[in-house]
Amino acid sequence: MAIVRRNLTAYGFLCAALACFAVFAWYPMVREFVLSFQKTDLINPPEWVGLDNFTAAVQDPAFGQAWLNTVEFTLLALLCGYAVPFVVALVLNELRHARAYLRFVVYLPVMLPPIVAVLLFRWFYDPGPGLFNQVLGAVGLPPLAWLDSSSTALISLVLVSTWMNMGSATLIYLAALQNIPPELYEAAELDGAGILKRIRHVTIPQTRLILLLMLMLQIVATMQVFIEPYMLTGGGPENATVSVAYLMYQFAFSQMNYGQAGALGMMLMLALLVFAALQLRTTREDAA
Amino acid sequence: MTSATDVRASARRRPGRARRPRPIHVQFRTIVSPHQLNSRWGRRIYWLVLAAVIVLFTLAFVFPLYWMVTGAMKTPEEIAEMPPSLFPADPTADAFVEAWDLFDIGTLLANTVYYALGAWLFSMAVDVTAAYALSKLRPVFGNVILGAMLATLMIPPMVILIPLYVTIVDLGLLNNPWGLWLPAAANGFNIFLLKRFFDSISRELIEAAQIDGAGPVRVLWSVVLPVSRPILGVVSILTIVTAFKDFVLPLLVMTDSEKMTISVGLSQTAGAVTQNHVMGGLVIAGIPMIIVFFIFQRHIMAGLTAGSIKG
Amino acid sequence: MQRSTGLLLVTVIGLAATACGSGESASPSAGGAGAVTITVACQPAKSAPKERKAWDDDVATFTKNHPGVTVKSTDQQPCFDPKTFGPKLAGGQMETVFVVPVTNYADVVGKGQALDITPYTSTIKNWDDLRPDVRELVTKDGKVYGVPNVHYGVGLVYNRALFTKAGLDPNRPPATWAEVREAAKKIAALGQGYVGYGEYSGGNTGGWHFTQAIYGRGGSILTPDNTKAAFNSPEGKAVLQTLHDMRWVDDSMGDKLLVGWESLMMAMGSGKVGMMLGAPDVVTDVVNKFRGNVADYGITGFPEAKASLSGGEAFMINPKATPEEAKAGLAWLDFRFNTVGKGRFDFARGKALGNPVGVPDNDVYGDSPTGKAIQTDRVKHASLPVENYEPYVRAAATVPPKAEPVHAQELYAILDVPMSGVLSREDASIDQLLADAETKANSLLAAKG
Repeated sequence: MAIVRRNLTAYGFLCAALACFAVFAWYPMVREFVLSFQKTDLINPPEWVGLDNFTAAVQDPAFGQAWLNTVEFTLLALLCGYAVPFVVALVLNELRHARAYLRFVVYLPVMLPPIVAVLLFRWFYDPGPGLFNQVLGAVGLPPLAWLDSSSTALISLVLVSTWMNMGSATLIYLAALQNIPPELYEAAELDGAGILKRIRHVTIPQTRLILLLMLMLQIVATMQVFIEPYMLTGGGPENATVSVAYLMYQFAFSQMNYGQAGALGMMLMLALLVFAALQLRTTREDAA
Repeated sequence: MTSATDVRASARRRPGRARRPRPIHVQFRTIVSPHQLNSRWGRRIYWLVLAAVIVLFTLAFVFPLYWMVTGAMKTPEEIAEMPPSLFPADPTADAFVEAWDLFDIGTLLANTVYYALGAWLFSMAVDVTAAYALSKLRPVFGNVILGAMLATLMIPPMVILIPLYVTIVDLGLLNNPWGLWLPAAANGFNIFLLKRFFDSISRELIEAAQIDGAGPVRVLWSVVLPVSRPILGVVSILTIVTAFKDFVLPLLVMTDSEKMTISVGLSQTAGAVTQNHVMGGLVIAGIPMIIVFFIFQRHIMAGLTAGSIKG
Repeated sequence: MQRSTGLLLVTVIGLAATACGSGESASPSAGGAGAVTITVACQPAKSAPKERKAWDDDVATFTKNHPGVTVKSTDQQPCFDPKTFGPKLAGGQMETVFVVPVTNYADVVGKGQALDITPYTSTIKNWDDLRPDVRELVTKDGKVYGVPNVHYGVGLVYNRALFTKAGLDPNRPPATWAEVREAAKKIAALGQGYVGYGEYSGGNTGGWHFTQAIYGRGGSILTPDNTKAAFNSPEGKAVLQTLHDMRWVDDSMGDKLLVGWESLMMAMGSGKVGMMLGAPDVVTDVVNKFRGNVADYGITGFPEAKASLSGGEAFMINPKATPEEAKAGLAWLDFRFNTVGKGRFDFARGKALGNPVGVPDNDVYGDSPTGKAIQTDRVKHASLPVENYEPYVRAAATVPPKAEPVHAQELYAILDVPMSGVLSREDASIDQLLADAETKANSLLAAKG
């Protein structure tokens, strides 16, 4: 009887959360699956169309480009947003002064709503009076086209994205670095290891778990890039910045083809699930 | 552990006998040893690196914000000048006032604060009770439910944006704050943080209360919540900041110009006003979060490191 | 324990009730006879307080004349937003009376998103005076789905003040592409930041303007049977070649890519852009929404025009509207949009508000008696030099209108690529760009059937 009562109480406490999760987290996953086999514009009753949405999505003129861009964006973002914060954290950890200021400042952009960062950079990228070209001009370098050339547009988006996101990665690494037991460094030093060797043999192995985790999280986060192309380039020039998420948005809200958007969403979900599975495996192995 | 404290203590003592220049105070051992650091070259390099990092960080993270604020203080002509002026020739706050009207920022800001606070209240109510049930009442299938909730962390929000949106449309929640609050409460990460903290609350504390005849609600309210202040602070800040910064879902759900959030409102109007007004709007939109950061810096950083342990 | 469970249940039920309640309130109930509530789109934004007041006054007058009808206005900007259109309709948030641009007629009508208003056309004021070709655009299979509201053809909008500054005669605007290039060069030579000729390259506007340009040169986007792309043609190449040369040889187009409608309008309003393709409504918008100086802008016919992409919009009625709501909605349209001397055609009021009255921004009534009455009224209250627009009016009368291609938005997205290509890369191969776009367009058309 007590068990029944305890369970009743527990489910009483749980039911609001269960309802929210059911409707707004679990059901949408199922719905995406269903949606991807339907043709629907949300007005007329949906029709079952088999795999048509998938073939239509794959045949879209921007499909291949969108995946290439997303992968390229992710790789570039890893370079800037993964390696750089680690190096920055290493340096910050060595500093004994102005730590609070530096930590505060690096995290400041993270606090800003993304739209603020994006619109600010849109102005910096202006080929005329924009800050970046003016700075280049001031140091005697030729101006760049930034968002306006298919060769630089994507990296420009990565720059914005890195600027507004790197603070959190930096602080997470910093916390991990501070957890490394000092005696390990002492021991390494006694063994005659130089600074680089200490990093390789102490720092990196000690932060391996967090490094792996962040790698996966970062990949999953950047694969969803949307606001940057949406606000800055509209996917152009010449489709150089169309991302999968942006294309999905276009399918749904420009072409009112929710099924096709759902099909693309399914593909993105599968791609990300592979990463998620990898993440789980590495964490498990490490924990073991 | 003892050796670590010894090292720290000795590190603190050692530089006392160095030469004239004040030694660099080392609180904890890192890659570079205190000895190396306080050598003649070590010190020089240290100060050089420190100066470089401070300058670089200021340029990279503060200067853009300075440029944004001063940009808003320039006239439309001055802001388009080439080369640009480092200080506004005739600083004026007009652009802030004008931007306030042009973007209708009063409405936008009020909406955003309302949605953020609502999301906070609602998700706290939902997630705290759920985490408490999972942690302390331990119902059958509790672990399955927890697993299913945590599994949603693997699915990035963008991926299920379309079906989530379609669901919101089906429920008739467009232009209704519940269209943002209900999805906000389905937050696996909040549940995870809360449950982990509740798990660490000792059984005896709760049993003592139960012996006094407290039911589960009383236990939650007068035993669990008071000792959970730190985690409640972290979760609160995370929820509010996330709700304030959110862009894509409000873009789709709150389409009425009377009901838009500040991010969406700015994105819709930014193309039609001059650059100094855009900057004025951005400054105003950025200020609330900067203030929150100033006040709750500790909670935010704590939330960050709590976040790094999620898996 | 019992209490706590109950409390939570109440919360959940409360939520569900809120959800349902909001869904219902959105679709106005057709109460007793005469008591009808309609929602109407396109109220001017708060940032245009005078226009908004004029609109609100009209609503007040209208409801006074139509007892029992309640009018609620929405001020979403722009009033037609493809992003929210479908969802609004599906979610019961769509206005009773909404506006659709000509680009989306086929889509909206084809998907059953507009009410068949054929039974009511006899009651629509001046219906027979609307241009037949414009009425044809809102008609499908003999059924009428909308009340055309605005119609215009594309011309060349230019900044007269810049022409004067650059030593060009504003009364002799360019009539050929060679003259456009010359004028653009001179304007760009005025100095840093001046753009001779502005053009779009993204956000579907690039493809849209490519269509304007290729039509003007006598080309087509699709073959007459709509099954194949037809823009990889000498006309299409000429469009891109001219843009490429102006951008890279003459350097008269500025160095910034313009993405989305506002970008070029904003530049035009700042007074530093010499020319752009556009209909007369560009002048109205540049002045009203982008702070352009009204006396500076002129418009002339499209250079060497062979045809002109029709632009415009129509009002349509929510397919879920009851007959009473539909009738009230159409009465509102009559009052606000289709009566000479009233509502939007109250030019005396427009002039008092500082609107650019006199721009020939609407040719929806053509040469019909209503059209002539409106034109007379417009000239009478003109607040700006009507002669600035005469070259356009003269040219427009002789150029045949040409409708947008089917699947316009998808095709425009494809055509953004060649437009942004020639404007962002000096070494862009026009043949390659057009061939690629043609392949994509053909597979799109094949997929759409």
